[in-house]
Amino acid sequence: MATALPVRAQVPAAGQATKQHASWSPYDDNGGTVVAVAGDDYCIVAASTRMSTGYSILTRNKSKILRLNPKCVVASAGMQADMETLHKMLHSRHVTYQFNHRRPMSCPATAQLLSNTLYYKRFFPYYTFNLCAGLDDEGRGAVYTYDAIGSYERVGYGCQGSGKELIQPVLDNQLKAASPLVLPQQQWLSSLPLEQAVDLVKGAFVSAGERDIYTGDDVEILIITKDGIRTDSLQLKRD
Amino acid sequence: MMRISCPLIDGPATSAAQDACGLRELGVGGAPVDSFPLPAVQDIDSFEREVVEYVKPNHGTTTLGFIFQGGVIIAVDSRASQGSYISSQTVKKVIEINPYLLGTMAGGAADCQFWERNLGRQCRLYELANGKRITVRGASKLLANTMFSYRGMGLSMGTMVAGWDEAGPGLYYVDSDGQRTKGKLFSVGSGSLYAYGVLDEGYRWDLSVEEAVELGLRSIYHATFRDAASGGTVSVYHVTQEGWTKVRGEDVGELHFRFYPDPAKHPCNSVDPLAV
Amino acid sequence: MAQAGGFSFDLCKRNEFLEARGMKGPGFTKTGTTIAGVIFKDGVVLGADTRSTAGTTVADKNCEKIHYIAPNIYCCGAGTAADTENVTGMVASQLELHRYATGTQSRVITAMTLLKSHLFRYQGHVSAALVLGGVDFRGPHLFTVYPHGSTDSLPFCTMGSGSLNAMAVFEAGYKDDMSKEEAMELVARAIRSGVMNDLGSGSNVDLCIISKEGVEYKRNHEYLQGKTYERQFPQRFAAGSVPVVRERVYDIRKAVTVVEGEPMEMES
Repeated sequence: MATALPVRAQVPAAGQATKQHASWSPYDDNGGTVVAVAGDDYCIVAASTRMSTGYSILTRNKSKILRLNPKCVVASAGMQADMETLHKMLHSRHVTYQFNHRRPMSCPATAQLLSNTLYYKRFFPYYTFNLCAGLDDEGRGAVYTYDAIGSYERVGYGCQGSGKELIQPVLDNQLKAASPLVLPQQQWLSSLPLEQAVDLVKGAFVSAGERDIYTGDDVEILIITKDGIRTDSLQLKRD
Repeated sequence: MMRISCPLIDGPATSAAQDACGLRELGVGGAPVDSFPLPAVQDIDSFEREVVEYVKPNHGTTTLGFIFQGGVIIAVDSRASQGSYISSQTVKKVIEINPYLLGTMAGGAADCQFWERNLGRQCRLYELANGKRITVRGASKLLANTMFSYRGMGLSMGTMVAGWDEAGPGLYYVDSDGQRTKGKLFSVGSGSLYAYGVLDEGYRWDLSVEEAVELGLRSIYHATFRDAASGGTVSVYHVTQEGWTKVRGEDVGELHFRFYPDPAKHPCNSVDPLAV
Repeated sequence: MAQAGGFSFDLCKRNEFLEARGMKGPGFTKTGTTIAGVIFKDGVVLGADTRSTAGTTVADKNCEKIHYIAPNIYCCGAGTAADTENVTGMVASQLELHRYATGTQSRVITAMTLLKSHLFRYQGHVSAALVLGGVDFRGPHLFTVYPHGSTDSLPFCTMGSGSLNAMAVFEAGYKDDMSKEEAMELVARAIRSGVMNDLGSGSNVDLCIISKEGVEYKRNHEYLQGKTYERQFPQRFAAGSVPVVRERVYDIRKAVTVVEGEPMEMES
């Protein structure tokens, strides 16, 4: 046990063979906004499809949503390369899970898996801002929000990405219910009818598209119910 | 030694040199360092500092805990912020490790959530191996050892481990520097100074349970009033010989008007500049 | 001694010190912009988008970037909004005084010289990138002025974050001696390419056509895309949704004393 606890000693070893420019950064922000709203028996997930870097648009049609199964999806904003890696990883873990358990992974289980996957990269984080959304085991809408290193929480609605400062207050104003922490327990899931909730999400995206330069072109909308996933779309301004 | 394999936390079981630090042999943390990939940079310290600017992890809190005649009181707020943005008003900052153990959360939300979940797992394994519940002293030591093994890597967490064991009520402060202190009264987080102000003034050993709960509630409320990074709802837990119970959960907005029914009489309402 | 005109540099050293210690200064409204101009048969066409941004948020969806310099001269501005507005304003007033003194039409090259000498003096710290165009007795002129004070005289030019997008259109479509309509169409297309493909530029297209006959300032020549979605369930807040807790009426006369006196004489 002579080598007791030289934790830091490993660190130079990891970087020994590397030389790079002092101002080089492994991260790039590709923008984009994702929103999810949970209802009594549905869940809406929406993501803008523009992908940009700096002042240029890389593509106007990039999906940011990973469909794992008919009851669970993951939507990510931030850096596209990390998003792609993360989605690939979650997809393969989901396939393995199905081989082992002969059923798709539930939404709460996926949520915990995503948290662990993000935290696993605690010291070199995925530059992604995620929402995990779908239906829980009782068939109610479920939305989980994350920070980049895996702290997560179940909420009634959530918003992440470049337009979050514009959209989150709108959702708070329309959907905010009692905190799940208050005693005696109160209803904390929003109970807006599906059509009105979709309308609200669309309205929020149109407004964000007016003011956030990274939100635009199109919005991909998934409506998750017990009958499966239905898609909808919305055009935004292209400037 | 019997172990339950948990690939993500234990890391890939492929390399023979995976336990270079001997952490596993020591039984420290159950999570050897090499399970977390590190960036290929020379100066990891400044890289981690830069990363914080990019990913803005959740931060900001007021938590408190104290032991008194009737057991242990734990009270916390529920706000999480990323810089000046409030990322959540409904964070559960008390982590229920098992029916007799609680952990509180201050600092990095992800660090606290992950490592206290990990602590819960370790405590359960201890129970299965030894046929009895782990002591508060033991549980807090497990967490402190984990923290010590990651010292200097940029983890951020200030936590209280509270509970009840054969020795009676227990309360420990554990943080990411590896510090571990036993005590009767703690407050942790950005609003802790405000909470201490109220808490120290009102604390007595022979507080009744009702008074103690009210003191915890008031202390957190006043911290949320002055500290912009604290807010949301106040949750109060009470730990006794029978384990913990959540006794209160109150929105601070409503508490304000309970404590100060007439807003005009609040000391912070300034004099009307136009009043003649 | 009377206060000399010009900028105050009193706090530069202090701010430099604070910034070195990690403080962030206040951000400026930048017009991440597409501006462009061409010379045609008998005049100049200037064009600009109408978006101004503060970081990644749009600060103004319909701002004016084609500034007046003289009745026969206009100027498009890119860079820090405050700098472009003030530098063109200063030159406009100097030229106006010059016209009063000489009684002759202002020349475009005079405006250009005033701009470049001011910008050069401040070594790029006045961040204005300009496209200057006009018609004087020597015919149509078009100049670009860079923030450090260098200038170009060109038959077609672009500036701002969308300059490459617009220049691509010019390079493909420019011809000598175009008609007014051809020139307007080309400039509008160049600005549109900046609006669509550059995130710093957006909203509408402004044009300004200057010829011997006069000036046509076409504000919002192209109005691009209205709202793409109309709410089905619009949010309406019924009157009384916000309770009035208390109402007070102040008599302002009791708080303000009015002093009678002679009206002040303006300095001549």
